[in-house]
Amino acid sequence: MLSKSDQVTTQQQIDFLKVTGLTKSFPGVVALDDVSLTVRSGEVLALLGENGAGKSTLIKLLAGVYAADKGLIEIGGTPHTFHSPSDALDAGIKVVFQEIALIPEFTVAENIFLETHLSKSFGRVPWKEIQDRAVDIFDRAGFALDPNSKVRDLPVSKQQLVEISRALAHDARVVIMDEPTSSLTPSEVANLFQVIGRLKSMGIAIIYVSHKLEEIFEISDKCVVLRDGKWISTKHTRDHTQGSLIKDMVGREIEDLFPRSERSLGPTMIDVSGLSTRARLRDISFNVRAGEVVGFFGLMGAGRTELAKAVVGYEPILSGSVKIDGHQLKPHSTSKSKALGIGLLTEDRKSEGLMPDISITHNMTLAALQNFRRRGFIDENDEAQKVGQFVERFRIKHSALSQPIKTLSGGNQQKVLLSRWLMFGLKVIVLDEPTRGIDVGAKAEIFALIDELAAAGLAVILMTSEMPELFGLSDRIYVLSEGQITAEIDGNNATQEEVLDAAIR
Amino acid sequence: MRQSVSLILSSLAVFKSLGRSSNIALVISLGLVIFVFSLMSEYFFSARNLTNVLGQSSIIMLIALGVAIGLIAGEVDISVGSVVAVTAIPLIEIMNSTGSLPLGILGALAVGMCVGAINGYFSVYLKINSLIVTLGMLFILRGAVYLYTGKRATPDTVYLESFFILGNGKLFGVLPIPALVAGLIAVALIFGMQYLRFGRRIYAVGGNAEVARLAGYNVMQIKFICFIICSALATCGGILLSSRLGAAIHTAGINYEFQAVAAVVLGGVSLAGGVGTLTGVVLGVLILAFVSNGLGMINAPTEWQLVITGLVIIAAVTLDSFKSHQRT
Repeated sequence: MLSKSDQVTTQQQIDFLKVTGLTKSFPGVVALDDVSLTVRSGEVLALLGENGAGKSTLIKLLAGVYAADKGLIEIGGTPHTFHSPSDALDAGIKVVFQEIALIPEFTVAENIFLETHLSKSFGRVPWKEIQDRAVDIFDRAGFALDPNSKVRDLPVSKQQLVEISRALAHDARVVIMDEPTSSLTPSEVANLFQVIGRLKSMGIAIIYVSHKLEEIFEISDKCVVLRDGKWISTKHTRDHTQGSLIKDMVGREIEDLFPRSERSLGPTMIDVSGLSTRARLRDISFNVRAGEVVGFFGLMGAGRTELAKAVVGYEPILSGSVKIDGHQLKPHSTSKSKALGIGLLTEDRKSEGLMPDISITHNMTLAALQNFRRRGFIDENDEAQKVGQFVERFRIKHSALSQPIKTLSGGNQQKVLLSRWLMFGLKVIVLDEPTRGIDVGAKAEIFALIDELAAAGLAVILMTSEMPELFGLSDRIYVLSEGQITAEIDGNNATQEEVLDAAIR
Repeated sequence: MRQSVSLILSSLAVFKSLGRSSNIALVISLGLVIFVFSLMSEYFFSARNLTNVLGQSSIIMLIALGVAIGLIAGEVDISVGSVVAVTAIPLIEIMNSTGSLPLGILGALAVGMCVGAINGYFSVYLKINSLIVTLGMLFILRGAVYLYTGKRATPDTVYLESFFILGNGKLFGVLPIPALVAGLIAVALIFGMQYLRFGRRIYAVGGNAEVARLAGYNVMQIKFICFIICSALATCGGILLSSRLGAAIHTAGINYEFQAVAAVVLGGVSLAGGVGTLTGVVLGVLILAFVSNGLGMINAPTEWQLVITGLVIIAAVTLDSFKSHQRT
């Protein structure tokens, strides 16, 4: 509660946006459960939580992308219901999403007035006026933007400014920024913070979502923490320490979902040294032994997926080497890496893992087809028999092996994809977020499966942003931050604070 | 000294704009084509021949503009060649029975726009791939024309002078009327795509449909209208062709869809939508028209005309793709 004197000094800063009891469920999950918060004009509110805490659901409700099941959104004291993003924008809320929503082929000025094109008689587009108004906004906000450059040619940092200009063009009173710094350089971040300062002085309320705690302490006035879709705490940022914030975010005890059988470590199966990529990874070196599960933790944008793709030859590398069981991965391609015995279970199951309309059988045998070849033909009996074995072993719930894989649940799909590699016979498997979008019951089964793989002598590389998964499965933990390994920690003695600390370094 | 510096700077600026807008590259290519054929044939560079090419290219020009608008919106329409044949029938038959050119044109446009609406309905509202829908329509309409006409031409029997002039007349004895018609329509469309809100919305929808939807555009409606515009323009092309031929010919417009798509792609319109200008399309049509005319002038066999046209298209698009790779 604010004291009376606080109320006097902040009299000018009315509660501009007030959210009460906001609730949203999706089939099978309550994504946001009775969350309330207020933001005043000229205030920066930091919204924090782990992945899946409900932050993006909250943002999308405020942006009018989703409609709330329950709860009230009030702006300047007036309740609002949003049916579309344009409703939210009309009411004064503008979201700058991580995926910038601009038309790349259009100029800066045209993108700013995309909604209206400043309608004129006969539907003529008043190019001159659009340009003048854009320049006007840039002057007011102090942006160094050329209204006539194409958005496609601008770096992300400038595209963000275009999005913010769009907010100003609509007289937005609340600007929501979703992980705005995830692809910015440090100097661009400093610029963005200056812009935020200017927006504050213009009386605009800002909701700032980020995983980077230093930023939170630098830029925000107030912190709201969510966990598992529920509200956890609201405090002035100055009353928080890094420790207290992390505690609010992580909070829960890690459940014992993780069986761990006796594993004996074998020889080093993968040895990566000095690996760098053009985009983000810098000088990555690590190794994994047979029978070992090594977890890589990193926040969004740390380079986990990129590393996963680079070590299996899917992404080109600039320098460094990858050795699988003593053999150099060269040329750096997936067909070579497969021959050496390393495979990737991708993070993006839908677009990079599954052939959705194809049967379970054909999805599973994709990598191992040569095992079923008899005189140049596929031996379908052999194939069916092998698939049957895996389906039984992993308890893949299905009605027929010929059913399209898209009709299976996420957990069962993941088991089919794991089988794809196991059937081929791997030495090293890279799992990128193996439990993304999978419900808790199936998660436990996947965890047991991962343990089983390691016990059978595979080297397992686990990329994850989920703390419980990391601690439950890993023998050793590497922490990634901004494309570099910032810590190597023994899995048995690691603490969450230690890991998060390295992740935001 | 200062002069030479400014000369270098200005030539750099020309190169820079070459990289930016492929239209200047197209203008230069067109100039080169005309220059080279002028050297090779004494008959090529004459007012008579050049204006003839403009007249001949006017039909493909109108069709290509329609196809381009569809592609910019992110949809493809390859039924246009059959639309040319199918809309000529109401045009000629209405004229024959009423003696009125405007009524005939209205009838043709009505039929053409109905085809566009059907294409649009299946592609946009039923979400069936527009390539498939319009491919089917290509066959259906051609088959319908054969069935209706018994594979015979439907001749114009009232000989309206206005109808004859539309396809065969010359303004001041020089500029073919079809070129004038196509040119006026092209200018109007170029203006509309650049300066009218609806035009910019078409670009936005093709550039990123999701962003356009979030910005409050009715994406489906815009695409639907583009299908109708495309068919209407193909109908206009068909009207000019019927006037030249003096009849509705059941085989009219065969393969026109490919010529149109070729010119559109040559003109810099992206098959992925959202990119390209109608000015570029006009230039693309003209380049292909002059190449084919020039090859005829130097008595190149038609077989070679086909091969060279194909090479020009692939070369142009390959160069364009190098350019865009450099950018990223």
